[in-house]
Amino acid sequence: MIQYFKDLFNGIVNLLKGMYITMLNFCRPKVTEQYPENRGKKVYAERFRGELIMPHNEKNEHKCTACGICQMNCPNGTIRIETKQITTEDGKSKKVLDKYFYDLASCTFCGLCSMNCPQKAIVWTNNFEHSVFTREAMRIQLNKEGSKVEEKKAVTSKE
Amino acid sequence: MKKINDIISSVNSALTVEDCQYPTINVPVEQLKNVAKKLFENGYDFLINLTGMDYKDSLGVIYHISSSVDKNAMVVLKTTTDNRENPVIPTVSDIWESANLYEREVYDFFGIRFINHPDMRRIFLRQDWNGYPFRKDYDSNPELNPVPLENQTIEAMEDVPTLTVNKDGDLVANSKPLFGKQEYVINIGPQHPATHGVLHLRVSLDGEIINKVDPNFGYIHRGIEKMCETKTYPQILQLTERLDYLSGTMNRHAFCLCVEKAMGLEVPARAQAVRVIFDELTRIASHLLGWGCTCMDMGSITAFIYGMRDREKIMDIFEETGGGRLMVGYNVIGGVANDVSPKFVDQVKEFIPYMRKMIKEYHTLFTYNPIARGRMENIGFLTKEQAVALGTTGPVGRASGWSCDVRKIEPYAGYDKLDFEEVIRTEGGTLDRYLIRLDEIEQSLRIIEQLINNLPEGDFKAKTPAIIKLPAGEYYQRVENARGDFGVYINSTGEKNPYRVKFRSPCMTLISALDPLCKNEKIADLIMIGASLDYVIPCADR
Amino acid sequence: MLELDKLVNLIHEGLTSAMPEMAWLVSLIEYVLIGVAFLAVYCVLALVLIYVERKVCAFFQCRIGPNRVGPFGIFQSIADMVKILLKEIIAITKTDNVLFKLAPFIVLTGSLCTFGALPFGKGLQGIDFNVGVFYLLAISSLGVVGILLAGWASNNKYTLIGAMRSGAQLVSYELSASISILTMVILAGSMQLSTIVEKQADAWFIFQAPLPAFIAFVIYLIAGHAETNRGPFDLPEAESELTAGYHTEYSGIQFGFFYLAEYLNMFIIAGIATTIFLGGWQPFHINAEWASGFNSIMDYIPSWLWFFAKVFALVFLSLWVRWSFPRLRIDQLLKLEWKILMPISLINMLVMAVWVLIF
Repeated sequence: MIQYFKDLFNGIVNLLKGMYITMLNFCRPKVTEQYPENRGKKVYAERFRGELIMPHNEKNEHKCTACGICQMNCPNGTIRIETKQITTEDGKSKKVLDKYFYDLASCTFCGLCSMNCPQKAIVWTNNFEHSVFTREAMRIQLNKEGSKVEEKKAVTSKE
Repeated sequence: MKKINDIISSVNSALTVEDCQYPTINVPVEQLKNVAKKLFENGYDFLINLTGMDYKDSLGVIYHISSSVDKNAMVVLKTTTDNRENPVIPTVSDIWESANLYEREVYDFFGIRFINHPDMRRIFLRQDWNGYPFRKDYDSNPELNPVPLENQTIEAMEDVPTLTVNKDGDLVANSKPLFGKQEYVINIGPQHPATHGVLHLRVSLDGEIINKVDPNFGYIHRGIEKMCETKTYPQILQLTERLDYLSGTMNRHAFCLCVEKAMGLEVPARAQAVRVIFDELTRIASHLLGWGCTCMDMGSITAFIYGMRDREKIMDIFEETGGGRLMVGYNVIGGVANDVSPKFVDQVKEFIPYMRKMIKEYHTLFTYNPIARGRMENIGFLTKEQAVALGTTGPVGRASGWSCDVRKIEPYAGYDKLDFEEVIRTEGGTLDRYLIRLDEIEQSLRIIEQLINNLPEGDFKAKTPAIIKLPAGEYYQRVENARGDFGVYINSTGEKNPYRVKFRSPCMTLISALDPLCKNEKIADLIMIGASLDYVIPCADR
Repeated sequence: MLELDKLVNLIHEGLTSAMPEMAWLVSLIEYVLIGVAFLAVYCVLALVLIYVERKVCAFFQCRIGPNRVGPFGIFQSIADMVKILLKEIIAITKTDNVLFKLAPFIVLTGSLCTFGALPFGKGLQGIDFNVGVFYLLAISSLGVVGILLAGWASNNKYTLIGAMRSGAQLVSYELSASISILTMVILAGSMQLSTIVEKQADAWFIFQAPLPAFIAFVIYLIAGHAETNRGPFDLPEAESELTAGYHTEYSGIQFGFFYLAEYLNMFIIAGIATTIFLGGWQPFHINAEWASGFNSIMDYIPSWLWFFAKVFALVFLSLWVRWSFPRLRIDQLLKLEWKILMPISLINMLVMAVWVLIF
């Protein structure tokens, strides 16, 4: 009989303690991220792999030499490189990048492409807002129209 | 080694033990049962893994066997059959209970039927699937297996075929229904809030009391092991994270370790320490989610949100250093992808005291709550013998008093130099399984604390060749992930792709424990016992 | 000053003076007006309660809760209501069609009838039976018939289990809820709600007989909580086992009815507890000479405000409990009732009887 009341009392005390914890959290600052409002204010991790991009400098030049290592390394066939043959000023025929296709829809963000790129021509940004209305819109061409390979880098890699 | 030799020669003197990574014995099919029995009698009571193999000219099965008494003991049995049309091998599921599901998997993928196995249904694929997809000569023509537009009939799902030997020594195929006609069978899942994924349980009820639970797998089967056969080793890494997504870092670590072992690669000390910190953080994150889900399955959604809130802090640490949140993608062959972020050490140091404080709150909120205690006490007992037989490793096994922590048994990545306790409880009830996770968080924090205060300087990655090829051979690596003994088996022929990869999933054995645990409990307890086992379905389905 | 009974009397006098010889028409118009007013208050209260619940729950869980529709999300439940009204009612084959469609109405009728009998303020009471307490107890258990029907008619295994649980739960908890109310009836000496409230003008019942009244109050809160199928007692709709319990198969406004009734039941239980234990619409008075100034200040606060303030305090308590505790199992639920609440409330009733004899 005494045990019965003891258990009852202990039970009630522990229930109240639990309620105290929830009340504690009731008064604590809230952790919800107000997403569209904090756009631009929240700092995202620099290394976060959101989307693959190919940086271009102000002269509309990129570093990609169309070697195809990224395409080979990609586990899902996300990257497709189209090349073209051009004749340089000194008359040599050279293979350069024509189109660099990146299919965001099949990318698993493993990072093998950028990790293995010898030129560091492709990098990750932390843009995560990928939603688009059609699947076609997820097939992105990374090199800009009329862009060229950055000359200086191309020379150093040749040497 | 000597012990194994003695045991084997006592069965048949013609059998020899090869000294590979583990003592390996090639057993003819006729001898298999005897050898298995003898091994079991000599203390080899834990069947870690069972791998189906297609050697192109023959089919085979590989058994990785260990012991719950002599924990370092490990022996590998191999058996092959030349008959590709109608291969049969005697079952070992009457010796090691955990072989039950493994053998069904081998039947599903390789078409090997097991004599006297109680339940020879396909496990992942539909019962009307044509062909055995893991065979090397499998025809993947989509016309053979068109996308089905109809549901499987209940009869096809519940008709249990068996293969027995009659008096004359002939094989007889039989079948029996799984449930009686009068049984009240309800479906829990595949779309159900409390199955932690797409698990489908057919539960036979008597009022609120459970008679029988029949798990149906395969709703998230992606054929990861088959995919691995066509990918290079670095490419496989991203698939390992997608097995058990809650302990992705540890799975990836296991695969890296296995490849590094095969290549003979030395991992820099800094990389090793960072890997261990990441492993333990992942373990905490996983246990927090496990705790939260247990609470939510008991109806306390608030506790679930608290668990998720604190897990978010770990995700932020991962994002800062590894670049991913759930799929961190940080471990690579030879080390880690890049050096830790400058903020990393501070973030981790800040997290440790916060977590300790929160664990106290968790205990006050939930552990000592009389309702929660009433729900968890005195139900779902798993004895140590059952745990070993079913192969339920990890927190579940340790709650039953079975010391099965791979970090202690086969230390990897410098765990032997760290000071931590293997938390073991004795009862094996639901409450123990619940408590052990919170205690393990405490131990993980201890490990992290030791490493973060003196992180070794140096390289974060060893030099690796541009194209990684493993020398021909077989490699096995065990890692303790958040749910138990995760194993990677690689069979290499010296190419840049593996010949066969098999992942030992701790979750599959956990699900197989549902039926013995839930018998004669109430339907509300099924959900809670499931939560206390804390399985992840993509890990079981692979 | 802000008492609404004057408004009610004004309407009544206005109508009678306009049509002195047609008393039946006056009554008819008044009945319709009262009915419409109750329905309107019922719906508005449900919307408010849904918003309050979501916001409070969010705060307990370190979240912000609805904050997109309107300032602080106050129009969220209106948006939800519009959505639920526009949703298609999915017709399910193999259900018992008549019962399936009838069930939500029974649930709603049960709670609306109870709602009508609550005294909201001075002179604000729809019906004032001389057996008001009895009426409340009787009509509030009508809802379970609807739940049982819903579970049965849906022809679904989950709903059936949910409905059976609900039946078992209500039958047992009705008992201790009734006994704890009867305990207070002993003290009040009347079953008429208006009399009960008037008797608490000087001191609320919970202060008039502190020990037995307090125990009865706690037991009534627990049992009432269980009767509304909420909080730790939400077994009939235990979402982790039974997806949504008895209303799994309902959609659109039919589901809306269950939803409405569930929230209003929470209000009704708090309302009954307020009326019987916390003085109903009576302001807080200190029964002493020196406190007459304090008492008159309390009297300035309109009576309906007192009622709603007390009710919402109890609703908050119920939400607090709901979002703190895990769910019980069916056997524990019944054990709690038959082994703990029931004996205690029986003994408590005796204690109360002795108390009334002595004082």
